[in-house]
Amino acid sequence: MNAYLPPLMIRVRVREAGARGFRLWLPIVLLWPLLLPLLVLTLIVTLLVDLALLASGARYHHYTRLVLGSLRVLAEVRGTHVDAVTEDSFVKVDIY
Amino acid sequence: MSEDRKRILGMLAEGKITAEEADLLLDSLGTPASEATPSREPMPSDDWPTGPSATGTPKFLYVKVTGKDTVDVKVPLGLLRAGLKLTSLIPPQAMDQISESMGEHGMSIDFNNLKPEDIEELIQSLREMEINVHSADGDNIRVFCA
Repeated sequence: MNAYLPPLMIRVRVREAGARGFRLWLPIVLLWPLLLPLLVLTLIVTLLVDLALLASGARYHHYTRLVLGSLRVLAEVRGTHVDAVTEDSFVKVDIY
Repeated sequence: MSEDRKRILGMLAEGKITAEEADLLLDSLGTPASEATPSREPMPSDDWPTGPSATGTPKFLYVKVTGKDTVDVKVPLGLLRAGLKLTSLIPPQAMDQISESMGEHGMSIDFNNLKPEDIEELIQSLREMEINVHSADGDNIRVFCA
């Protein structure tokens, strides 16, 4: 189940010479409960489509797996870190 | 903090000048050195491995650029694994269009031939991969998995 846990937080830090810079904490964990009903609805629809395709003998009937696979890709984004530091600025992005 | 800044703030504290006057005086001193140059924060890459791991399954793909600028990228290999597995689930019609579009952009990769067992083998093989690029302008680029 943990493998399907989507990113919970994105931290962005930007700083440039002579500027204040900023730190941004994006608690995207708050977004997922809002999107959950949409996801459930999508899965129900894809499941029905897959069953219909299977019944009709279509070779491809993996739309539900496609949606779940997309979720897996989203979940695997966790742990990504990008740092770019120049002489007078830096950008850091962490996805938790 | 510079002596000038200390003196201005001292005068403000003693009530010799108003806050507006102190603000003007501080502005006239220019940007403090601490703001002119971003503080060098400890890079997370300080804790990162310095090369490919000799044993075990690699967990991350690391890209390190050192030289004039520093770039550190750490990407979970699970993302690569999940992404490649997802390609096997894309409808054939869409996959053909993707392959065609990638071919037009110089990336002739046929994902239709990629099987799940190939993906695991590919990930395992990445453990031994290490790319080192030394550019003429002094930048060093390292790509490895650990």
